[in-house]
Amino acid sequence: MDSSMTVGEMLKMMRDPLGAPFFPPVFQVLLVVTWVLHIFFVTLALGTSAFSIYAFWRRPDERVLQLGRLAARLTPNALGLGIVTGIAPLLFVQTIYDPLWYASNALTGFWSVAFIFVVAGGYSLAYFFYLKGSQDRRLLFTAVASFMLLFFAGWIMHVLHGVSIRPEHWREWYAPGGVIDTRGVIFHAYNIPRLVFLLPLQAGLSLAVVLQFSAWYLRQRGDAPAFLNWVAELGRKLAVVVSPLYALAGLVWALTEGPEFGVAWVAAPLTALGIALLGYFIWLRNQPQRGPLSVLIWLLGLLVVAVVREALRAASLARFGYTIANYPYHLDWGSVIVFAVTTVVGVAIITYLALVIYQSQASRDGQVSLRVERLGRIATGMLGAWFGFFLLVGLYTLLVLR
Amino acid sequence: MYPFWEGILIHSTLYVAINSAFHVLVSHLTVAAAWFNLYIERRAVRENREELYEYLKRSALGLLVFAYVFGALAGVGIWQTTTAANPRGISTLIHNFVFFWGAEWHMFLIDVIGIMAYYYTFGRVSRQTHLRLAWILALGSTGTLAIIVGILSFKLTPGLWLETGNSLNGFFNPTFWPQISMRFYFMFVITAAWVLFVATGLPKGFFEREKIIRYASGIGLIGLAGGVLVWLLMFEPALPQHARAILPSRAIPWPTFEIIYFGLAATFLGLLFAFIAPNRQRRVFALAAMAVMYGAIFGAERTREVLRKPDVIAGYISSNQLVFNDLPARQVQSEEKRLAETGMLGNLPFVPAREQIAIDPQVAFGSDKPEVAVGRVMAIQQCGSCHSVSHQTELNIAGVALDLRSQAKLLQMRGLSTVDEIDAYLGAIQGFPYMHPFVGTLEERRALAEYLAAFVQDSFPANAAQIKR
Repeated sequence: MDSSMTVGEMLKMMRDPLGAPFFPPVFQVLLVVTWVLHIFFVTLALGTSAFSIYAFWRRPDERVLQLGRLAARLTPNALGLGIVTGIAPLLFVQTIYDPLWYASNALTGFWSVAFIFVVAGGYSLAYFFYLKGSQDRRLLFTAVASFMLLFFAGWIMHVLHGVSIRPEHWREWYAPGGVIDTRGVIFHAYNIPRLVFLLPLQAGLSLAVVLQFSAWYLRQRGDAPAFLNWVAELGRKLAVVVSPLYALAGLVWALTEGPEFGVAWVAAPLTALGIALLGYFIWLRNQPQRGPLSVLIWLLGLLVVAVVREALRAASLARFGYTIANYPYHLDWGSVIVFAVTTVVGVAIITYLALVIYQSQASRDGQVSLRVERLGRIATGMLGAWFGFFLLVGLYTLLVLR
Repeated sequence: MYPFWEGILIHSTLYVAINSAFHVLVSHLTVAAAWFNLYIERRAVRENREELYEYLKRSALGLLVFAYVFGALAGVGIWQTTTAANPRGISTLIHNFVFFWGAEWHMFLIDVIGIMAYYYTFGRVSRQTHLRLAWILALGSTGTLAIIVGILSFKLTPGLWLETGNSLNGFFNPTFWPQISMRFYFMFVITAAWVLFVATGLPKGFFEREKIIRYASGIGLIGLAGGVLVWLLMFEPALPQHARAILPSRAIPWPTFEIIYFGLAATFLGLLFAFIAPNRQRRVFALAAMAVMYGAIFGAERTREVLRKPDVIAGYISSNQLVFNDLPARQVQSEEKRLAETGMLGNLPFVPAREQIAIDPQVAFGSDKPEVAVGRVMAIQQCGSCHSVSHQTELNIAGVALDLRSQAKLLQMRGLSTVDEIDAYLGAIQGFPYMHPFVGTLEERRALAEYLAAFVQDSFPANAAQIKR
């Protein structure tokens, strides 16, 4: 299809006429930051899934098996958090990059819909393996099938993103040779170095830092120090092996995709990140208590990746005059206030819940401190009060906003 | 405005329907289950009944593994399926309500982390702490319901939003309060089936098994009565005139209402049976109840969606994914007005110009006529969101056709199979309350008629032979 409409005109027409409800760069920042959490949990799930398969395939070594069982337990929980934290970037990408996200999903409709069933399959099998197989080294095939399904889900997302940042090809992909194809079954765009960087290698690093974190966390519960030292060191060694590969994959990704959008310079931060991680994990030798620091460093690293990802997208679209700075908006204070109030309540409650989980699992008697309980009383009160706020906003709307 | 995904085997919107109905079943189940668990746990703490925790632990594990996993996935599935099937519709909702969805996300995070905390702290934290977690789950899940209903109900009754463009007006719209009330009542019906499922898994002779089943079925009966009353006294009276006109029309196909009535009756009898004879309940009854409820929910939610036809957002954007009314408060102009003058071809990003459309008999029922190829493009854009416009989405299982209002069937039913007949029909299509006027030039409409005639003749060759004679 070779329409007389330019790609820039096309993108402008596709943009929702309602505009964004707040300053668009705010959504861009939120999109980048929330993606970090999402990719951390998703790659962690892949990493723990892979480790549990490895652990159960080896000859029985009680330490490896014990860690494998822990990994099997972590997989579905990490995946659950990955799914939940994926919703936030999904909301924001639709707000300011609506032409991209919707076009790519419509062009790849079958796989876009299949994604849910693929993840459901992977999730179910991960839970099944954890509950029924991991204690007795049985049903390993369910863990393998789970991993394959979850990896395939990652592939689908990779393709959706790859299609989304190539608007110059959409019309030809939609109607090759002038005949519209409404099946949505073709994987139109992908970049293997990028996929390798973002999925398996990040899975290795997410697993590595969580191994270190687990060793630190379980130490407080009084678990065997020798085992925990081994776990922490295993994580460190894994990171030392993966980091240089990460740097190399980042370089290849940048050199294969960056020039397409005129931003080959992204090779620098991606390669530097891999090298910096290598340096950190080498420095970490004989320091098994640095679990939280490792997680923090890795999350900052993922933030760098998120910014690079966003830079690639922005550069691609800038070729056609589409920028977030120019995205129309209309300040919708009503919804902003609802979100802000709910955020305050949400942060209080989630902090309380996280502390309850942490304290209950980190000590032998599972007790929660009085300070945390006080936070709980306040946070629960705030949650109840939120309904009062909600009703008041409703009444205000009905009676005043006419 | 976007590429169109018709679907594979079944129409794209049927993927939305199947997934969404499942999500409604599971999400409503979890909201009411959270309240029911809170009720049981309060009794456990106040009356010092340790044995009730056995039920709670099983329920929590089941919710954690089933409801929060599959319910959450189905929720994400709604995003994926609606985005693929009708991106412009979901885009309108996002650009109005993204912050409301963000607020719902907080509540959802509370739910997911909350159920993890709730389950993994059984027997570890104090009873008071655990009871607080139950409160948080009940309130958080209700928060997700409250927020999503505002967005859902906006589609049918945008209310004052059509004048003010203010998202609060759109959120607290005329059917918001009836819908949230009705869902709140009905969710206890769904949860009764869940409780039945969990409680029948408790060991036989377990002390509290029958009592728990009786509590849940009693609450379920109240919920059923309440939900029906809210529909009759609040929701139906609040429906706009247009929706009332569609309710009795053929836009809601047989056996939708029959399934809903059967579902209600079967559920009532099942709950009554569980209340009277809790000791005779089996797990298979719970599974059967959920299957019946799924069918009833499918019918009910589909009805809710059809009441809005032909619009995606009533009064603003149609199923053809075009804005048809101005919205001065947001400086939005009708897209249809412009396209009715210029024509569609070449004037939308994914509707090619006439000279760019190639002929492919494989997708044109064997025809090599240029007008049929052009008509296919028109059919995809004008009709594809609500109809099967080709054999691509006409799966047939054991004689049951799963097409979505196949245009070939509808036209054949009306005895229309020639280009002239169909063209005239299209010219008057807005006479049906659930149909949108054709948008485009007379030549484009004629081309659409050519394509539809080829579709009818290919689907019903006997008719074609008669016409030739």
